[in-house]
Amino acid sequence: MKKIILSGFVAGIILFVLSYGGLFLAIRFFPELFMDYNNPLFNSDGSRDILFYLHAFIFSFALSWFWARFKGLFHGSFITRGLEFGLVYALVALLPVMWITFSSLDITLFIVFSWFMYGFIQAVIAGLVFAKINA
Amino acid sequence: MPHYHLPTMLKLLLFFLLLFLSGLNQSVKKPYLAKWVITKGCSLKVVGSTNVNQFSCVIANYYQPDTLTFYKDAAAEPTRITGMLKLEVQNFDCQNPVMTTNLRSTLKAKAYPYLIIRFISLSRYPANHAQTGALKGVVSIQLAGITKRYEVDYRFIPNGANALTLVGTRQVNFSDFNIIPPRKIGGMIQTNNELDVQFSLKAKILE
Repeated sequence: MKKIILSGFVAGIILFVLSYGGLFLAIRFFPELFMDYNNPLFNSDGSRDILFYLHAFIFSFALSWFWARFKGLFHGSFITRGLEFGLVYALVALLPVMWITFSSLDITLFIVFSWFMYGFIQAVIAGLVFAKINA
Repeated sequence: MPHYHLPTMLKLLLFFLLLFLSGLNQSVKKPYLAKWVITKGCSLKVVGSTNVNQFSCVIANYYQPDTLTFYKDAAAEPTRITGMLKLEVQNFDCQNPVMTTNLRSTLKAKAYPYLIIRFISLSRYPANHAQTGALKGVVSIQLAGITKRYEVDYRFIPNGANALTLVGTRQVNFSDFNIIPPRKIGGMIQTNNELDVQFSLKAKILE
C-alpha cells in the first residue's frame, strides 16, 4: 500500500509538471491547434480549475494501483514495461472512452486524437516511473 | 358681482389674447432639431481576442424601423437624442459555428436576448451631412442585464441625398457587464477582457 501511494505521488508530480508544462508550451507555440477549445462544451467560468489540475494525481494514483495489481504481467526492461503498460491503458481505457466522446460530443477528430495521444504518453511516463520505483 | 369699467375689461381681454397667441406660437414651433429614420443595412460588429486567436462577430442587416430625434436645448449644450437599436444577441455570427455558440453563451443570450444601444447625445448635430466628418457622442449599452454609459467616437458618411451612415466605435470590457471572459482548460486559454464594438447606422434625414 505504501509503495502504491509513494509511486502514485511521485508519478503524479512528474505528470503534473510534464503535462501542464507541455500544454502551456504547446498553447504558446502552436496556438492555432487550440482554437477549437473556444467551445461552450468546455467549462469556461473557472469553477472546475482545481479539478482540472488534480487530474495528474487522480490518473497517477489510479494507475499506481493498477500497476501494483498487474505488474507481474509486464516483462523486460523498465522501458519495455513502461511502454507496454501505456499501450494496455490506451487500448483498454482510452480507446473506448475516446470513441464514445467523439460519437456524442461536438468536437473535432483532431481534439479526440490529441487527447488519445496525451493520455497514452501520460500512461507511458507513469509506467516508466512505476517500473523504476515499484518493480 | 364686481363692477368693471369697459376699458379695464378690454385691457384684460387684450392681455389674455396676447397670452393665448404667445402660447400658440410656442406650440407650432418645431420642438425638435431633426429626425432620422433608421433604414435597412444597419450592423453591429464586436472584435475580441483570446490568447490563441482573434474573433470578429457581426449582427448584419439589422432592421427595426425606428426614428432618432435630435433636440437642441441651448447652443452650448450637446444635442440630445432619443432612439435606440435593439439587437438580438442570438443573431451574432462569428463565421465559425463554435465561436458563434461560444459568444452567444458568454453574452448570456438565453437569459438576456437583447443588446440595446440607446442614443443619448451628440457633441454637435452634423448639419453639413453632405461631407464626411467625425464627432463624439454618448450612448448607453444594455447587455446581459447591465446598462452602462459610454462616450463613443462617431464618423458620419454621406450616403446619397438626405441619407447618411453613422459609424460609432468604442472599446468595452466584458467585466463592465459583469461577464467573466471565458477561460478554458484550467485558464490556459483565456479570452481577453477588451471587446471593440462598432455599430453602423444607416439613416434617412427628415428635417
